[in-house]
Amino acid sequence: MLCGGQLIRLNELLARLEARRCLKDIEPRLFSEDEGPQHGEVVELYGAEGTGKTELLYHLLCRCVLPEAAGGLEVDVLFVDTDYSLDMLRLVSILDSRLTSAGLEEAALRSSLSRLLVVHCSSSSQLLLTLHYLETTLNSRPSLALLLIDSISAFYWLDRCEGGASISRQEEKLSKCAELLGRLLRDYKFTIFATCHTIRRSSSGSAASCSSTLEADRPYLCRPWQRLVTHRVLCSRQEAENHTAGGSREEKRRQVFRVHCSSSSSRTKASRISSFCATDAGVQFI
Amino acid sequence: MFACTASDKATSGSFALGFLKLISATMVPLQEGMCPGLDGDLLRSLLAADIRTVEDLVSSDLEDVSRKCSVSYKALFSIRRVLLAQHTAFPVSGADLYEELLSSTAIISTGNPSLDKLLDSGLYTGEITELSGGPGSGKSQVCFGVAVHVSLQLKQSVIYVDTTGGLTASRLLEMLQSETSDGDEQMEALQRIHVFRLFDAYSLRDCLSALRRGGLLQASGGGSVKAVIVDSVSAVISPLLGGKQNEGMSLMIQAAVALKTMAKDFSVAVLVTNHVTRGGGGGVQPGLGASWSHIPRTRILLERVDRAPSGCSSTLRSATLIKSSRQPCHIKEEFDLQRQSRSVRSSSGKRKRDEADS
Repeated sequence: MLCGGQLIRLNELLARLEARRCLKDIEPRLFSEDEGPQHGEVVELYGAEGTGKTELLYHLLCRCVLPEAAGGLEVDVLFVDTDYSLDMLRLVSILDSRLTSAGLEEAALRSSLSRLLVVHCSSSSQLLLTLHYLETTLNSRPSLALLLIDSISAFYWLDRCEGGASISRQEEKLSKCAELLGRLLRDYKFTIFATCHTIRRSSSGSAASCSSTLEADRPYLCRPWQRLVTHRVLCSRQEAENHTAGGSREEKRRQVFRVHCSSSSSRTKASRISSFCATDAGVQFI
Repeated sequence: MFACTASDKATSGSFALGFLKLISATMVPLQEGMCPGLDGDLLRSLLAADIRTVEDLVSSDLEDVSRKCSVSYKALFSIRRVLLAQHTAFPVSGADLYEELLSSTAIISTGNPSLDKLLDSGLYTGEITELSGGPGSGKSQVCFGVAVHVSLQLKQSVIYVDTTGGLTASRLLEMLQSETSDGDEQMEALQRIHVFRLFDAYSLRDCLSALRRGGLLQASGGGSVKAVIVDSVSAVISPLLGGKQNEGMSLMIQAAVALKTMAKDFSVAVLVTNHVTRGGGGGVQPGLGASWSHIPRTRILLERVDRAPSGCSSTLRSATLIKSSRQPCHIKEEFDLQRQSRSVRSSSGKRKRDEADS
C-alpha cells in the first residue's frame, strides 16, 4: 500500500481512539437510573403523528449543542433529515429561550448552531451514500458525538414498492444502512437517536384496548435495524387532564405527552414512564 | 410479479412505466465517463463482478473488487471518493441553514383573517399545510380564496393542481370581481393562476416531479410562484390504498416528497386538501391513514356549523387546528364562506362598515 493510503488509515485510527463524549446523562428524566445510552447505542423514538417525537428530538439536540453555562453538553450533532421536517425556526426559538434564561448573548446562539450539521436525504440510496460519507465527517470532527435521524422510516413504502414481491429486496437498502451504521458505531463509538413513524393507526377511543396498541407499536422495520436498537422510547398522547381551577386557560389546553422508555441492553431490562408537555421554551417534564 | 386485477389491465401499461421510472429515480447506474478513471474496460470488469450502480461500488469491499477485476486499489479508491462526492448530500452547518431560512421564509396570508389566526398569521413557505373536511365543508372554496388572494393582493403566481374538476374560471372571476372592479386587474390576476388538471395518481406524481425538477418557473411563465395548491390529494390517492398493494402508498409518498422538496427548494407555501374518515371513538379524522399524517406540518379540520335559527343552509364553517408546531392544538375559529376576506367574529365597528358596503 502506498504512503497516501497509510496516512489515511492512521488518521482514521486516531479519530477512533479518541473517546467521544458519552451521552449517558443526556436526559436523566427520560431514561431510568443509569440506563442512558452508552457509547455505540441506538435509541429509537417510536410513535404516531402528534405524539411529541420531534419536540423530544429538538430538546435532546438543544441539550447537546448548548454551551455548558446554559446547561448543555457542547458536543457536535449531525442531523440527518429524511422527510424535510426540520423546523429551524422552532429549534432556534427553543435555543434562544434557553440562552436568555441563562443570561447569555447572541454570539452564543451562533456558536451553538455551528455545532449542528444538517444533511437532507431524499431516497434510501442517497441515505446509504450519505452514511458512507459520514465516515469522513466523523474523522474530521472528533467532537461529533450524536447522530439524529428523523426519520428512519421515511422511505419504508418507497422501498417496499421498489422491492416488488421479495421481502429481502424490499428491505435491502435499509439493511445495508443498518449494517453500515453498526460498523460505524463499533469503530467510532457515537450515539444514535432515530425517530420511527407508525404505519398503522391504533383503533383507540378513550379506552384503548391493549391488543390494538400492541399491534400498532410492533416494530416493522428490517431485522438488522431492530438488532441495532438498544433503547425503545414509545411516545403517545395522554388524554387532556383536568387541571385545577387555578390554572390559566393556556395551561388547561396544554397537551401532555407520555413516553415509555424501555431498554433491551444486557443490563437490567428496566423501563420508565415519564410525561412532558411542549411549551415555547421546548419540552418541560412533569 | 405484481397482482393485477381486471380493472388494472387498462392501466397496466402505465403501471410498468411507473415502476421503471421509480427504479431510475433512486438508484444511480454506473456509466462510462461518469468520473475520471472510469473508462469502458473498468466498467465492463465491474459489471462482470456484478457491480452495476454507484451504491454497489460504494458498499463493496474495495480490496476484494480490486482482486476480482485486477484493478489497482488506489484507482478504485479515488473513483469511489469522486462518486461519493458527486452523489452524496452535503452536510450544512446549522448557522448557515438558519441564515438562509431567515432570508427566504415568508408568511403568505390566506385572505381569511380567521384562518390566519389559526395558522399563526398565514401559510408558511417551505411547509405543507393540510385542509381536511367532509363534502361541502368548504375546502375548495378556501383554496380558491387563497389563490385569489395571492394572485390579486400579493401579485404572485399560483400553481393550482385540480384533481376533482371543481375549479372553474368563472368562480374565480366572481371572487375577483368582489375584491376589485378593475377589469384589467382581474384579468392579470387570473393569468397569474396556473391550473393543472389531472385525474389519476401517476399523472399527479409525474406533474409534481416535473415541477420540482425546475418546471415551476417554466409553468408560471417567469413569474415568481409563492403558493402551490393541490385540491385534492386524497381524491386520486385513496382509491389506490388498501389491500395488499404497495403501489398506492408508494405513489402517495413520492407525491409527498416532491411537494416537500418543492416547498423547501423554491420557498413556496404548499396547501393540500384531504377528505375525512370516522376514527375509532366516533370522531372525525383526516383521511389517507397514518403514513400521510406525518407529511403536513400543519393540519386544519373544516366542519359545517349547524345553527338552528338560520333555517336554510348556513355558510358558516368552523376550522379546528389539529396539528401545529407553533400554536396549542384544538383552537377553533368560525368564519363565513360568503365573505372570504371578512371574518364573522370581527369587532362590531367593522361589522357595521361591512354591512354598509354590501
